[in-house]
Order: sequence, then structure tokens, then C-alpha cells
Amino acid sequence: MTLARVSRMTGRILLHISIVTFGILMIMPFYWMIVTSFQIPQNLITFPPKWWPQPPTLEHFKEATQQAPFLLYYRNSLIVANIHVFSCILLGLLAGYAFAVYRFPLQGFFFVLILSTLMVPIQVTSVSLYILMSRFGWIDTFTGILAPDIASAFSVFFMRQTIKSMPKALIDAARIDGAGELRIVFTIIAPLVKSVMATIALILFINSWNDFLWPVIVINSERLRTLPVGIAFFKDPFHINFGSLMAATTIATMPMIFVYLFLQRFVIKGIATSGLKF
Amino acid sequence: MKNWLIMAKKQRWHNAYLFIAPVLIALGLFRIYPAIQTLVFSFFKVNIVSRKYTWVALKNFSLLLEDLTFRRALSNTFVYAFYIVLMSALIALVLSSLFSSKMKLGDVYKAAYFVPFITSTVAAAVVWSYLYDPRFGLFNMILKLVGLPGRGWIASSRDAMLSVIIFSIWKTLGYNMVIFLAGLQNIPDMYYEAATIDGAGPLTIFFRLTVPLLAPTIVFVVIYNTILALKVFDQVFVLTSGGPAKASTTVVLELYEMAFLHYRFGYAASMAFVFFIMILVVTVIQYAISSKWEVQY
Repeated sequence: MTLARVSRMTGRILLHISIVTFGILMIMPFYWMIVTSFQIPQNLITFPPKWWPQPPTLEHFKEATQQAPFLLYYRNSLIVANIHVFSCILLGLLAGYAFAVYRFPLQGFFFVLILSTLMVPIQVTSVSLYILMSRFGWIDTFTGILAPDIASAFSVFFMRQTIKSMPKALIDAARIDGAGELRIVFTIIAPLVKSVMATIALILFINSWNDFLWPVIVINSERLRTLPVGIAFFKDPFHINFGSLMAATTIATMPMIFVYLFLQRFVIKGIATSGLKF
Repeated sequence: MKNWLIMAKKQRWHNAYLFIAPVLIALGLFRIYPAIQTLVFSFFKVNIVSRKYTWVALKNFSLLLEDLTFRRALSNTFVYAFYIVLMSALIALVLSSLFSSKMKLGDVYKAAYFVPFITSTVAAAVVWSYLYDPRFGLFNMILKLVGLPGRGWIASSRDAMLSVIIFSIWKTLGYNMVIFLAGLQNIPDMYYEAATIDGAGPLTIFFRLTVPLLAPTIVFVVIYNTILALKVFDQVFVLTSGGPAKASTTVVLELYEMAFLHYRFGYAASMAFVFFIMILVVTVIQYAISSKWEVQY
């Protein structure tokens, strides 16, 4: 073996080691979360730390599920995320179609107006949005949680870009055949932009699922708490039981992580092509 | 025939407005109107219970100038943004160019780097609040194992901001890597082949080839991370609540507490105004730079 080959080999091995080390560092918090959630209480305060639950126990899970209604949190998060995704996709499809296919007065103005909402984050609007919601009587309701995210400029933008790139002859042909505009949108356009819709839906879903600032502002009662809000309030600064806290976060995160692992290729491709998350 | 065309055109106008109306109404009512109102509120003293709005001109802003906590929040936010952009983007750039040049990154590794990003910030921060615990947390246990003194982490005003920063680097690294890897895939292999034939070493290739060709992606990642970092809230809320003694408070956390804990909406609105200007400046810079840095392969 020549010297050059030896050094190339060591390079490769070092690279492998660094990838694996970094990978372990990234995963370590989740590993420790799971280990802790199965660890018997007295093992949590011993030194050196026990790297494996010995013996494993379900005690913390029992305690966590008694302390907080995680099924309810899941249900709320699912309701919010699904309505959010559905309405953003539907409204985005309609508006995207209009911007891509029609020419109408003030078209450019309206498009820029819609895109401008991307520049003003919820952090800025939340102050008076809260006052508006309280005037509507929507504080502490599902409507209140959903209202600011019922439409998404991001969805409109990507729908428009996609529909614009499609051959216009398709739409013309359908029109000559006498199809109404709504029918064209739902039976001809929608199936063709399925994959883009799936990408947008996925990003909207992850964002809605993890959204915290607006839900924590607008939700007061336990029965409406979404997962992030529920978990944040599960952590009680004055009475910390790390075992049940880690059991709670395991319950809150692991199902999503499993779903993600199945969809990983699709998720990564979607985020790489759209770039942004809103 | 001509008549029919005009009719059809008219009808489609009508359709177009119907199609964009729901989006316009929703965004107009829940995004644009509150945004403008927040800017207006920053010149008022707002009493949310009696719905009394008292014009106070620039008083909120002059208070803001003297507000030491808000100054602390501003400087914390900038320090945070600086380190996140520098560290997260830099580590991601180095790692992803290492990965893509030599081997295909397996799905298992991809999952390892990306799972923190798709997990909810709140849940992940709760896990880290345990890791950071001075007495029973894993970090201090490991420090003790290797014979180093433990740190205060989130419990000490000196380490609180550092703890939030380390958490956020971990959280955003995977996203930045995905973007960089996508950017790297667009660079044709022949450039690398040519450079290797010319005898360029890996460092030369990285600085003279990868970095310049990846410039638009780097600009995007820097801007995107800056905006995201300026908005930092979830992890601060969970890890430190801005403490101890406001040591790790940030602009959005101050804004949140002022409005929704102290009900000083006018004052919070003036913070939102300042925050909006910060975002606006970064966005304008983005447009200015990204139009200049287009790369054609």
C-alpha cells in the first residue's frame, strides 16, 4: 500500500468516526430521555449515571398519564393541525389558481399584499390580534387558535408557482368542453399538483404541530391545550420529578418521530425544495 | 363570438376575485389588520378591560429607551442570533461538505441529524432542561466523570444564555445541513474532478470551490437563521423563562410578558414595532444581497 492510499484510508476512517460521533451527540438527548423515563427513581440520582434502565419500570409513565391528559393533548393537536393544513391547502389552491391563470385588475397589488404577510411574524401581530380575538369572544376557543393560520401566504405562493408552470392548453381544453372553473380546479388542477400539495401540507403540519407562541397566548383552559402547551405546563418549576417529566416528553415526541422515520425521504426532499418553513 | 369572449373574460375576473377573496379576508383580518394596529397601538396606552386607548405620542418609545431589561433583551437577542448564525451555519456547512464530497449520507445518519429539527422545540427544550440540571443533569454528570467541575447551566445567570445557544445549535443544525446538502448537489461533479486532477487539496477545494459556488445557499441560510434567531421564544420560555434575574431574556419573551402577563399592550406594541424594524432590516438586506449573488452553473 502506498503512503497516499494509507493517508486516504485514515482520512476516510476519521471522517466516519466524526460522522458517527456527531450523530451520537445529536441523538443523545433522546436516548437519555427514554432511558430516564424507564429508570427506577433511585437510579436517577446515583453517580456515576446508569446508562441503561436497570431494572426498567413503567412507574413514570403511570405517573405522567395520571398527571396530564396526553390523549386530549394529542386530539387537540391533531384537530388544530388538520384543520390548519386542510384550509391552507384549499384556500391556497383557489388563490394560487386565480393568480396563475387569470389576469385581473390589482392582481400584482393583491399578490404582494399576500406575500407581505410573510414579513410580519405572529410575534408582531400577536399583541393586537389578542385584542381582536377577545372582541370576537374567541379567546380560549378552537376558533381562536385556528384563526390566524387559516390561510397561508406560503401555500398561495407555491400553488401559484406550480400551476403557472403547467401547460395552459389543459385548462383551455377543459373550458371548451364546458367545465366550470371550480370543476377545473378540483378535477384537473388538483390531481396534477398533488405532490406539491403534499409537500406544503407536510411543512404546514410540522409547523402547526410544533407551534407554541400563539396557542400559549390564546389558550387558558386545560381542555384546549395542544401538545407543546401541555408539555410546557407539565414542567412545574417547584416540583420537579425528572422521571415522569421524561416519560411525558417521551409520550409527546416519540410517535411523531416514528411517523417521521417512515416519511424521512419525503420530508427532507420537501424541505430542501421549498427551502422555507412558515 | 366577440361578445361571448368579453362575457367570458368578465366572468373570469369575477371568478378571480371570488377565488382570492377567502385568502384576502383571512390574511387581511388576522394578519395585516393586527399588524397595522400593533404599529398604531405603540403610540397609545391601551387598557384592554375598559377598551380605552389614550394617545401618548412617543412616550412608550422613550420608556423603551430607558428600559434596562429591554436593552438586555435586545443585546441577548443579537448575541444569540450572532452565535446561532455563526456556529449552526458553520458547523452545518463543514459537516455537509464533508459528507457530500466523500460518501452518501445514510438514512440513519440523516435521521440522527434531522430528528431534533422536526421535534417540537418545547418538548426538546423540556428534555434539555433535565440535561442542564446542575445536580442530576447528564451534562454535569459527564463533567464530573471526566474530573471537571460542574456548571450552573440554566440555573446560573452567567451560563443561561450559553445554554440556550447550545440547545438551539443542536436544534437547527439538521435543517441547515439539509439546505446545504441540497445546494451541494447542484454543483456539478466535474468542477470537483477538475480541481482534483489539478492537484487541489481538500482545504483548497473547500475554500476556493465549495464556498464560492455555494454562496447563494450560504446567504439564504444566514438570512433565514438570523430571522429565526431574532424570533427566539419557545426554548427561552421553557429553559430559563428569561432568568435567572432576566439574564437570558429576549425581545419576544419581553414582548410576551409585557402584553400577556402585565397587560401593558401599548408598551408591548412599541416593543413589537422595534422588533418589526429589526426583521424588516434583515429582509431588506436579504433582497439586496440575494439579487447580487446569483450563481449560474
